Amino acid sequence: MAYEFSDHRSRSRGVAVLDRPHRPAIIDIEETRPPMAIELTDIAKRFGNFTALDHVTVRAHDGEFLALLGPSGSGKTTLLRIIAGLELADSGTLQFKGEDLSRRSAKDRRIGLVFQHYALFRHMTVFDNVAFGLRVKKRHERPTKPEIEERVHRLLRLVQLDRLADRYPGQLSGGQRQRVALARALAVEPELLLLDEPFGALDAKVRKELRRWLRQLHDEMGLTSIFVTHDQEEALELADRVVVMNEGRIEQVGTPVDVYDNPATPFVYQFIGNSNRFECQVMEGHISIAGHVVGASDEVLPNGPALAFVRPHDFDIRSAKGGLGIPAVIRNLFPAGTLLRIELKLASTEQIVEVEVERSHPNPELAPGRLIVLSPRTIKVFPSAPPPLAQIAPPVES
Amino acid sequence: MDAGAQSFDNRSPMRAAITEPPLVRWVVTLVSLGFMVIFLVMPLVAVFAEALRQGFAAYLGNVLDPDALAAVRLTLTVAAIAVPLNLVFGLAAAWAISKFDFVGKSVLITFIDLPFSVSPVVSGLVYVLLYGAHGWFGPWLQAHDLQIIFAVPGLVLATIFVTFPFIARELIPLMQQQGTEDEEAALVLGAGGWNTFLHVTLPNVKWGLLYGVLLCNARAMGEFGAVSVVSGHIRGLTNTMPLHVEILYNEYNFVGAFAVASLLALLALVTLVSKSLLEWRFSHELAAMRH
Repeated sequence: MAYEFSDHRSRSRGVAVLDRPHRPAIIDIEETRPPMAIELTDIAKRFGNFTALDHVTVRAHDGEFLALLGPSGSGKTTLLRIIAGLELADSGTLQFKGEDLSRRSAKDRRIGLVFQHYALFRHMTVFDNVAFGLRVKKRHERPTKPEIEERVHRLLRLVQLDRLADRYPGQLSGGQRQRVALARALAVEPELLLLDEPFGALDAKVRKELRRWLRQLHDEMGLTSIFVTHDQEEALELADRVVVMNEGRIEQVGTPVDVYDNPATPFVYQFIGNSNRFECQVMEGHISIAGHVVGASDEVLPNGPALAFVRPHDFDIRSAKGGLGIPAVIRNLFPAGTLLRIELKLASTEQIVEVEVERSHPNPELAPGRLIVLSPRTIKVFPSAPPPLAQIAPPVES
Repeated sequence: MDAGAQSFDNRSPMRAAITEPPLVRWVVTLVSLGFMVIFLVMPLVAVFAEALRQGFAAYLGNVLDPDALAAVRLTLTVAAIAVPLNLVFGLAAAWAISKFDFVGKSVLITFIDLPFSVSPVVSGLVYVLLYGAHGWFGPWLQAHDLQIIFAVPGLVLATIFVTFPFIARELIPLMQQQGTEDEEAALVLGAGGWNTFLHVTLPNVKWGLLYGVLLCNARAMGEFGAVSVVSGHIRGLTNTMPLHVEILYNEYNFVGAFAVASLLALLALVTLVSKSLLEWRFSHELAAMRH
């Protein structure tokens, strides 16, 4: 897909576009440090008694693709709406390229926003939907009719919908509607693109295709994009950096690899990726689960009860004869693609544990009813008192 | 796909499952058609039959009678004022109720329904009490030589009161169901309030609005009770069509009464036909919007 849309914008932005790293490297994002595009500082928002945002600070670099990831009610959509100007923050500042954005109304912010349910104008054709933002411009800013026509068709070609220009939104599939919504948002040439659960209403296959396509579009157009999602897979695959939110607060900000490999809090550990959660004991740096020492901690941890997390693919399974680890009984085997998911029950506490191994290494030990021992290769221990479990909604029953 | 095709071929058990015994079908159809004939079609036919009993010339004579023409003119005038005013009010109220939160919202919702629950005669009397010679504002109005009761303004006021809920009631559920997301999308795209209203909100509700206007208009032309109280029944001056029908009937001028009544019935038929025509004309667009 040739990128032909923003020729005059790249001219106006001159060298900045050339300087922008194509996709920032995973670790040294702070070193490349492109100019800051949007800075939200200390944003707070309450709806009655409900604290939607509890003094949140988020920054996005120019050209960055940022994901706001969290469960429903974590405040991520409210944050997006505050940026778009559809909601007013109770306190905090909102800057775009050094300018105080909160002084401008939503109408004048020139931000592209794609709604979760697209909010396409039902009574307008696809063409009219995309042209809307251009037609409502003030007379002296408004492009001429042929210019509008040309630009809309260029955008529709970009989202591969040119042949459906005369259809109504009701006659389109979900994926097509989403692309119309995107073209409509891009028509006003926004410098910042906001997407609210952009793939939430689509089925799995369309979702994957559109995801890749959207990332490509973002890179080609030199946009700064922020998208909201509750789907960790989506956030990890698509974003340069992920902001993990929970209950109106930010739990962690980092690259996808960062938040997956080094979760900062128990919440992030449970929310991102599958994990097994264990009550454990720390004694002189040694971690024991259900009375079996499973490893030593690199960090200095206080003695006493703690929480340990282990990813399903971070276990070794050994024969019960003489092996070290936690004894467990295999309950079920679920072959899924290249992986074999194994459901086990710890012999002592009856806790259910989920383990994943490669299917390419068949192991005769793996059969329902067998007693084996589990030993974690990597274990993450959080010493602090855990947050109430009901609010974490663990992805794996524990 | 294959499974779907199979279940289509194998149609008879499905038909049996959703089809009632013939007897039930016959009874249901007969009851609904019979009701319609007895209560709707027969009276309608009777109106025209009575009106034309003395021949077409007599019918024309009755319709073109100066008092009858004055009644037609007055009815159209009242409707032409009341309907647009209620259109503005209905849109504003529905817009406010469905798109904003404000103090007094529930009071507004309750009071919009008031004319439905109050007898039209009472509505008329209220205006007499307010604006009549012995009413609250009576002395002030007399001092300024303004006549409301027993004059056209009174008829308009009473009609507005009675037809007040039609458009708002039609629009409120529609606009509430549509929510504010479309308006937000328009706003973020840079549209101002007026552009948003004109190009987004209004087209979204235009069918409901049209339906509300037609209902409102039909009621405005046919209103009897409230108008009767404030009219004073001055022939050629303050008699609307329904009032004129009553006067003629009370004078045992049955043919004249039915002639004017047939005009009212015609108006109703025109309303009905125009609604069907519009729906047919825009059926494609309507179908596109229902998704």
